[in-house]
Formats: sequence, structure tokens, C-alpha cells
Amino acid sequence: MAEGSVEVGLITEKTPLAGVQPVKFLLNWGRRYSLWVMNFGLACCAIEFIAASTSKHDFIRYGVIPFAHGPRQADLLVVAGTLTDKMAPALKRVYDQMPEPKYVISFGSCSNCGGPYWDSYSVTKGVDQIVPVDVYVPGCPPRPEALLHGILRLQEKIAGEDIREKFSGKLTTPAATS
Amino acid sequence: MASSPRPLPPPEIETRLRAQFGDDVLSFEDQYGHAVLTISPARYREVVTFLRDEPELAFDYCDFSAGVDLGDEGFEVVTHLFSTSHVHNVRVKVKLPHEDPVCPTISDLYAGANWHERETREMFGIEFEGHPQPVKLLLPEPFEGNPLRKDFPLMSREAKPWPGDVEGEEGEEE
Repeated sequence: MAEGSVEVGLITEKTPLAGVQPVKFLLNWGRRYSLWVMNFGLACCAIEFIAASTSKHDFIRYGVIPFAHGPRQADLLVVAGTLTDKMAPALKRVYDQMPEPKYVISFGSCSNCGGPYWDSYSVTKGVDQIVPVDVYVPGCPPRPEALLHGILRLQEKIAGEDIREKFSGKLTTPAATS
Repeated sequence: MASSPRPLPPPEIETRLRAQFGDDVLSFEDQYGHAVLTISPARYREVVTFLRDEPELAFDYCDFSAGVDLGDEGFEVVTHLFSTSHVHNVRVKVKLPHEDPVCPTISDLYAGANWHERETREMFGIEFEGHPQPVKLLLPEPFEGNPLRKDFPLMSREAKPWPGDVEGEEGEEE
């Protein structure tokens, strides 16, 4: 191959060039900007989620589409609010209905760890006890900007993902936004 | 609603109740214009039926029925009744012992009291005699204990004490 010329040949999943994986990049680029989101709104945090979806903050510009008709059409689940032990089976059921690859954002202190209800008899102390969480957004409630930040962090995570690795059975490490 | 509302002042309500039930009305108070009376569980249903059916009282709406844990003094079932025609209020308190608290149901007198009594039952462990559906309302089915009782242990606080106490201040009243 002549010096400085463009490399020509079959594009395999792992090209000989170090760090350049066009197919993986293209696939992840498509997935990260087309996140059909399911809002599992349980309390006041859901209002912040709604604010993030409307014209002022407008997360559709990041490719987050809040019109999933149900969990079976959704890629991203945002748990916004206080999860109680009685509601927990419903969350698990919604999560199980979502097709892979799927992502979960835990939005707000209640869904992160129980928040102000840390000593309650009925509140689940963190949705990560029920479903695996990709991004935690702290706050009580977090502002819509915090959700946007959380979405950007999730998109970074998706961009760096290797689908083969993701389904190898190894758990992914969660990210916190701040 | 042809006639204009004629709310009875609490002393008038007391007079009518005393005439009917005498000393079975254990105590009577005027709290901010609301009549508040304490009775024993034996005459609870009679008193409530009287309050509902007497034309001058006509308490036709059960606002809520709830419980109070008074510690050593036992439990109280508090029922708030309202009259939509006369626009006056009454609270009926039923004194119950701390051991095996049993209260007659009023869910046949006021259909709206049904769920309130189910909630009071699961939260305080107060049984409502004659309730048509004595099962849990809000708590998940496997839940054990009565969480609104003062002696209900909060497991999280066993592991980590309440961080809100200020040093030198007295703890929460028992």
C-alpha cells in the first residue's frame, strides 16, 4: 500500500486500524440518537421529566422520543419517582417487556436510594434492587437539565458499547451524573 | 336543597346528643366550630345513626374515618361527619383499648367509610366488627405488622438512627 493513501478493502467489524470500528460506530451512533423512552412516572419527578420533554428543554433534540406506545416499543426506561414495594413487581414487569438492548435511567433521590423515605416501611430503597440501572440522576427533584445531562451520559455509554460484550453476560458499570 | 343551610352551633349539637345518649357521651368539645365527642365502641353505631338520621343534624357525608395511636391510653377511631344540607361538622372519637382493639363498622351506614376502615385496620391493627371485606387496602399482601403503630420498628432506623436529632434536644416523645 502506498504511503498516505486511503485504505481500501472489506470493512469487517474489527478493522486492522487501531481503534477504528466503523460498523460498531455506525450502529451505536444510530442507537444513541433514537432512544424511544418510557416514562415510569411515580411522583413529582415525573413532572420534571415532562418538563424535559416539552418545548423549553425538549429532549427530542437529543433523539429521545417520548412517544413509545408501551414498554414493548421502548429502548429507555426512566424511573422517575418513589417506588414502593407494592409497585415494584409492576416495574419489573414493564422492564421485562422491553426488548433488548434496553437502558434504565434512575431519576431522582427516591428511585436512586429511597431519598427522603429512607426509613419508610413501604418504599423500595433504590430501583436498582429491582432492575439494573445505567445512569443515576441525583436531586430531589432533579431539574430537567439534570435529566438532559443524564441522557448525554447514557449516550456516551451507548457510543462506547460493544454489542457482543454487552450480551456476554457481564454486568455493565453504572454511571452517576455528578 | 330548597331550604338555606342552618348550621347548628356545637353546643346545640351537644344538647341533642345529651338528650338522646346522656352520659354515654364521654366528653364533648368545641374545636374551632366543629363538634367533637368521645364515646365508647358499644354505642358508636347508635350515635352515628342518630347523627345521620336526625333531621336537624342530617350528617349525610362521611368525610373520613381514621385511627390514632395514643400509646398507653389505647387507640382512637376518629370519624368526621359533615352535613351537606346544614353545612356543619362533627367528629366522633371512639375509645379503644391497646390490647385487641375492636370497633363496630359503619360501612353499612356510610358506604364511603369502607376503604377508610380497611386502611385503619391495616395501619393500626384495629378490627372492624361486621366489615364486609376486612382485607388490606394499600399495603402489599405479604406485609406483616401495622406500620402506623408507635411501636412498629423501622428497620432502616435500627441500622442508622434518625439523623435529625439535635444534640441537647430531647428525643421524640414516646
